[in-house]
Amino acid sequence: MVVHGEQVRVAAVFEPGKRIRPVWFERHRRQHKVLETTYSWRDQVGDTTLLHFTVSDGEALFELVYNPHEGNWILKDEPLAL
Amino acid sequence: MKNWSRVIMHIDMNAFFASVEQQTDPELRGKPIAVIGTGRTVVTTASYEARAFGVKTGMNTWQARQACPQLIFVVGDNRKYADTSTRIVAMMRDYTPLVEVFSIDEAFLDITGSLSLFGSAERIAYLLKARIRHELGLTCSIGIAPNKLLAKLASEMHKPDGLTIIAPDQVASVLEHLPVKELCGIGRNVEKRLADFGIFTCGQLGRYPVEVLKRRFGINGERLSQMGRGSDDSPVIPPEEEQAVKSVGHSMTLAHDVTGREGLLKYLLQLAEMVGSRARRYGVTGKTVHLTLRYGDFTTVGRQQTRTSPTNQSEAIYQDALAILDTFDLSQPVRLLGVRITNLTHHGDQLPLFEQERKVALATAAMDEANSRFGAFAVTYASVLETEEKGSHVISPAWRPDGIRRVDVK
Repeated sequence: MVVHGEQVRVAAVFEPGKRIRPVWFERHRRQHKVLETTYSWRDQVGDTTLLHFTVSDGEALFELVYNPHEGNWILKDEPLAL
Repeated sequence: MKNWSRVIMHIDMNAFFASVEQQTDPELRGKPIAVIGTGRTVVTTASYEARAFGVKTGMNTWQARQACPQLIFVVGDNRKYADTSTRIVAMMRDYTPLVEVFSIDEAFLDITGSLSLFGSAERIAYLLKARIRHELGLTCSIGIAPNKLLAKLASEMHKPDGLTIIAPDQVASVLEHLPVKELCGIGRNVEKRLADFGIFTCGQLGRYPVEVLKRRFGINGERLSQMGRGSDDSPVIPPEEEQAVKSVGHSMTLAHDVTGREGLLKYLLQLAEMVGSRARRYGVTGKTVHLTLRYGDFTTVGRQQTRTSPTNQSEAIYQDALAILDTFDLSQPVRLLGVRITNLTHHGDQLPLFEQERKVALATAAMDEANSRFGAFAVTYASVLETEEKGSHVISPAWRPDGIRRVDVK
């Protein structure tokens, strides 16, 4: 399963009711605090469900993708907007 | 709700794709935006702010920019919209099992049997609106009426975020001066033909002698007369009661117009594989293969060919489509290609008797298994690998959240 972007460290809270809330992520050795998750959605690629989170650190918008099958987080290519 | 034989609700998501994008990016909220596809630059949805400037679905980016110079273009993400639609339909099913998905952003609900559980139709509408807004940040317009025709009409009356009820005793007054084109199912052609009879409003249509309408419009004449009177007894059909599909097809608007046979082959093979793999996944085979071509000047032509035996093998579909392709004039640039199988048989797979065919079927099954695990086109024909954009990039009006009509979009 290929998602274009870089694998990143993410801190997330797995809340009751299968809700996942990203708290911070690292990019270029800088920690970005997630101030708002503006949208989330899921995507099925083959038998893998990918969870997409559009998050804002107050400066830019980013898309984080969680792959529960592989247990990793991908930060999609570039900030979505500035 | 006295005097209501049925209570039907129509839900229409407001500027769906654009609203999802405005929700995703707070910077876009309150601004004129247009969602466009990749490659060809046509507006698929405009936000209400953009519509105020005259930006409409189907405009190219140049026309849209002319209408609204400060317009922001956003490349759409069909997978996000498909998931959002699926989640909204799931919310609807919490209020009634009778949900008929009409398109990715519209659905009918028969809530007749749910009123005693939830109190009233208005309450169900407000609960749904609140849930959709709370969980997704989106708004919808809801129409409530005694049938689907009027419920859809009602939802169109107040946008965005409206709730309109047409009670049985209001039907005649609502329709009396309403232009016929406002009814779902009356397009420009029918509107024009009705105008030739001096029929401009629903009131006039409902009173017009049905025998004359039948002579002019055939079997649709009676239906038109009923529509003019606001009568519609069509049921809300949930997916499990839907009729079996009659065709499996895919079409593709090419990134650029392509001239000549050679340039079209990889797209044709890709379409044959998309049709074949979906048909195999749902255990259907087709005996007739159709090919549709749209030239650069938007002239659309189509031909079909019936096989001796039904198939869902991509290679066989490709060969038939290719034979049809060779009957067309390919000296003109082609804009769109479509492949479809019809004359369907619904049954499980059967392993062919002969060695060569058996090898093909086993190889196809292995390919399908890999693709079902790793995603469409993870394993595919070598010549398709070169194609820049594989898979379906457009959400068809026939898209549904479940079953064979759920096409995985890119």
